[in-house]
Amino acid sequence: MQTTLPGQSALGTQQTRFRRRALDNLTFALFLAPALVVFLTFVVYPILQSVYYSLFNWKGFGPAVDWVGLDNYVSILSDQIFMKAVGNGLLIVVLSLVIQLPMSLALALMVGRDLPGRAFFRTIFFMPYVISEVITAIMWLGLYNPDPERGFFNALLVLIPGVNAQAWLGDTSQVMACLFVVLTWKYFGLHMLLYMAGLQNIPAEIEEAARIDGANRRQLLGYITLPLLGGTIRTSVYLSVIGSLQQFILVWIMTKGGPVNASEVMATYMYRFGFVRFWLGYGCAVALVMFLICLAFSVVYQRLARQPDYLGGV
Amino acid sequence: MATIYSHPGSTWRKNLPRFWQYLILSLFVVLIFVPIVILIFGSLKTRGEMYSRPYTLPVPPRWENYGRILGMASFWTMLRNSLLVMLGATGGVVLICSLAAFVFARTDFRGKGLTFNLLTLGLMFPINVAILPVYLVLRQMGLTNNLWGIIVVQVAFQISGNILILRGFFAAVPVELQDAAYIDGCTTFDFFWRILLPLARPALSAVAALTMVASWNDLLVPLVLIDKDTLWTLPLGTMQFQGQYGQDLNMVAAFVTLSAVPAVLFYIFAERQIVSGLTAGALKG
Amino acid sequence: MSRNFFPLISIVLIAAFVLSACAPAAAPTAAPQPTQAPAAQPTQAPAKPTEAPRPTAVPQPTAAPKVKIAWWHITTADNQKVVWQKLADEYMKAHPNVTIEITVLENEAFKTKMTTVMQSGQPPDIFQSWGGGVMNAYATAGLLKDITADLDANGSAWRNTFSPGALGVYAYKGKNYGVPWDMGMVGFWYNKALFAKAGIDKPPATWSELLDDVKKLKAAGITPIALGEGDKWPGAFWWEYMAVRVGGQAAFDAAQSRKGAFTDQPFVDAGKKLQELVALKPFQAGFLGATWGDEATAMGNGKAAMDLMGQWAPGAFNDNSPDKKGIGDNLAWFPFPAVEGGAGAATDALGGGNGFALGKNAPPEAVDFVKYLTRAESQVQCAQAGFCVPVVKGGEAGLTDPLLKLVQQGAAAAKYFQLYYDQYLPPAMGSVVNDSVQGIFAGTLTPEKAAQALEDSAKKELK
Repeated sequence: MQTTLPGQSALGTQQTRFRRRALDNLTFALFLAPALVVFLTFVVYPILQSVYYSLFNWKGFGPAVDWVGLDNYVSILSDQIFMKAVGNGLLIVVLSLVIQLPMSLALALMVGRDLPGRAFFRTIFFMPYVISEVITAIMWLGLYNPDPERGFFNALLVLIPGVNAQAWLGDTSQVMACLFVVLTWKYFGLHMLLYMAGLQNIPAEIEEAARIDGANRRQLLGYITLPLLGGTIRTSVYLSVIGSLQQFILVWIMTKGGPVNASEVMATYMYRFGFVRFWLGYGCAVALVMFLICLAFSVVYQRLARQPDYLGGV
Repeated sequence: MATIYSHPGSTWRKNLPRFWQYLILSLFVVLIFVPIVILIFGSLKTRGEMYSRPYTLPVPPRWENYGRILGMASFWTMLRNSLLVMLGATGGVVLICSLAAFVFARTDFRGKGLTFNLLTLGLMFPINVAILPVYLVLRQMGLTNNLWGIIVVQVAFQISGNILILRGFFAAVPVELQDAAYIDGCTTFDFFWRILLPLARPALSAVAALTMVASWNDLLVPLVLIDKDTLWTLPLGTMQFQGQYGQDLNMVAAFVTLSAVPAVLFYIFAERQIVSGLTAGALKG
Repeated sequence: MSRNFFPLISIVLIAAFVLSACAPAAAPTAAPQPTQAPAAQPTQAPAKPTEAPRPTAVPQPTAAPKVKIAWWHITTADNQKVVWQKLADEYMKAHPNVTIEITVLENEAFKTKMTTVMQSGQPPDIFQSWGGGVMNAYATAGLLKDITADLDANGSAWRNTFSPGALGVYAYKGKNYGVPWDMGMVGFWYNKALFAKAGIDKPPATWSELLDDVKKLKAAGITPIALGEGDKWPGAFWWEYMAVRVGGQAAFDAAQSRKGAFTDQPFVDAGKKLQELVALKPFQAGFLGATWGDEATAMGNGKAAMDLMGQWAPGAFNDNSPDKKGIGDNLAWFPFPAVEGGAGAATDALGGGNGFALGKNAPPEAVDFVKYLTRAESQVQCAQAGFCVPVVKGGEAGLTDPLLKLVQQGAAAAKYFQLYYDQYLPPAMGSVVNDSVQGIFAGTLTPEKAAQALEDSAKKELK
């Protein structure tokens, strides 16, 4: 990181350096300008504007005139459906942390550093990530069809004597589990990839040294590998939580938050009120609540996860 | 690693865990492929066959389903729109982010920390959360029903992450190189354009690849901003097609399969770039 | 790999240029065609659209300026949308300066699109409308064209061609904003063969008989009722009909005028009766997540015995069957049964229809085209294609399908004709009805709470 301005290296007179400095400052300002302009206009300004609109009861036709103050926020926080949405979001987070991440980690460890065919496995496991959520959702909708003659899972299930076809996405108690399976299918490759990269970064000498000292598999894992993967695990957890909290497309296409709001998540809640019913004031309030939740999590996480990282990473 | 296990009796022991590992890994490979294969099977059947024998191998395969989709002018329009948006967004992101990352990586100015933190705040305001406020702003600017609207929003929400990635790479270029360039008479812009960027090619490819994937697969932004069906991008068109033809399971499967082909092809060519972009971004925080 | 990347980029760039040059701008008609549309697909009536004798061509001004009319409709079945297209083609031929651009949309997609397009303030010139509170909301926002004068012209020439009840649905505060082309009622479409298999020899006339029939069908291993409750409005039909039977016109009028309330006993009882049905588990597996399309597919493939649906049902059943023939002669119809002890008459009907509304920017040619679409001859063609129950005098001549005749007679005989709640009441209330009723079906809302939700919404919207 440079601390001296470029013009200060051995060149000409004070004058030249001055002109150069001014020119460079201008250049830097110009370089930074596009990013700042775009960011401020399309990321920051909308947030600020939505704070304004969230204080109105506004249906989108014409200007916002019906001031309601914090009523929207009160309605949101007292709405059972919103609470259910938050609950579902937390459910996805917990399931991801408890099932998806350990699974990805285990697979990454299995593939290790040099398993023959490693590249092949990585390619296959990561592929769902590049397939769009729309395609994923439509694909799985077909698999989850409750009619045994059209839905693959039920077709297999009814082959077992005594087992009935399940409603899957139509059953209020099964729908979240079904959605979670789809989420896992799509995203476990990403996390596995991160862990594989993290494993690469662990110097082989450390593992050699540990083994020479007589460490067995489990000790190696517990005392060397996992701690050194700390940074990667933290990143993976962070991505997983933020991603889980803002899931939208998959849920919307597969269930629209139904049946009867059983699979409602915050983003579908916001979409329904904002873009289906066009209660724009209310929708802005929901967006802000979501933002605050994500922000709160990020801040808390940065604090909690501030452990020394032996590899010098984040 | 193999040196430690070099006595004969352990070859069997080494290979047995290997065997189980391959078994489990292969099981996962199968699980990944099952939905995809069923989709492809479905796309090669007639409507009647989808009702009577949905899971068997399609015999004979009805390639004409693909023909019908490819024959729809709207499919190509959607493809074109997606392509235009993707190119616009990728070009915008690479350019804007490399310019900004350069500033953060190579200079110092008052308020740099503050500005940088502001930009990273963007990571906490993801597009899924911001879409309603953003829609309002774009509506006020008259950019709805306009491909440029989509491009500009996609660029805006990819700025934070990509500046982070690129800043790391740019910071790694030695200061001496920059000094040498100045001594030789380069302006800052010259240094940036002629020396730094070519050096950072792997990083730029990674950023480009990531942006291309994100833009191509994006449904939310076009869904909210676009009404006119001549401006639909491919994901939006796929969703509309399924909503409308939902009961024509074979045609839906064919459409979905075809719309997945570009992404998968791209992945095969650019896997390394995508992977390095993701891991660089993630591991450098 | 990275060596392949840049050539790939070049290929992609070239492809982009090529595609932008040659991909034709898809005309709206080339957009993927939708299948389901609650607007009207009754049976595959013997569709020999008789070439009705063409009226003499309207004399044209020689140098008429070019006019483009955007028309959005939701008649998606292949054999039915051709009727609209043909009428548009005929009109364009007679008026060469007019171009009519048709966009065909599936029902849900249409509703979504209407919301966004109304938000932008640029409605299409002619579009599908169900009248009632939704249309009234558009009218209040100034988004519709007032065609009262056009209807009254020449001594109310155009106005008198319509059946007054149907036309009234498209009027608000004394002004007309649209015209109907179809009006029918919701009733039970059932599969005679499946009924026979369960030992039911005639359709139920009372609610208890219906429940008995459901039990018999279940015993015979047949799914009694197809319901796409994921879309919510199909289930709302059940509750609304129940309210019509139990409370009659009096209860609804009282609640709507705010002299009574939606928490009055009839509305709560409607929910309770519905619970009796739900307790028997008469619906297909996964019905809570199923769409109207799934419902139609179940009926069209003979997988369910009955379906409470409007006059467009047979067309959808056929469209969603593998051979497009549906269940053929096995399809029959019976009206919603009487409910013992209900204040409503057994002839009261819940229903609605379809019409065209005109956007505020519609040119006069659009009004003229709508007149063309609602001539008696046009109605005859629609009726023959089996997707409308005509509302224009002279249109009934085209009604050949006996089942649709039953529907029309039922609608005509009803003294109390209730338009579907989610179209009749303001939009905010409509969505509350649909959501609450879904709660009753799922067992997550009690009838009392459902009625309360509706009442709360009424307090806000029906000031």
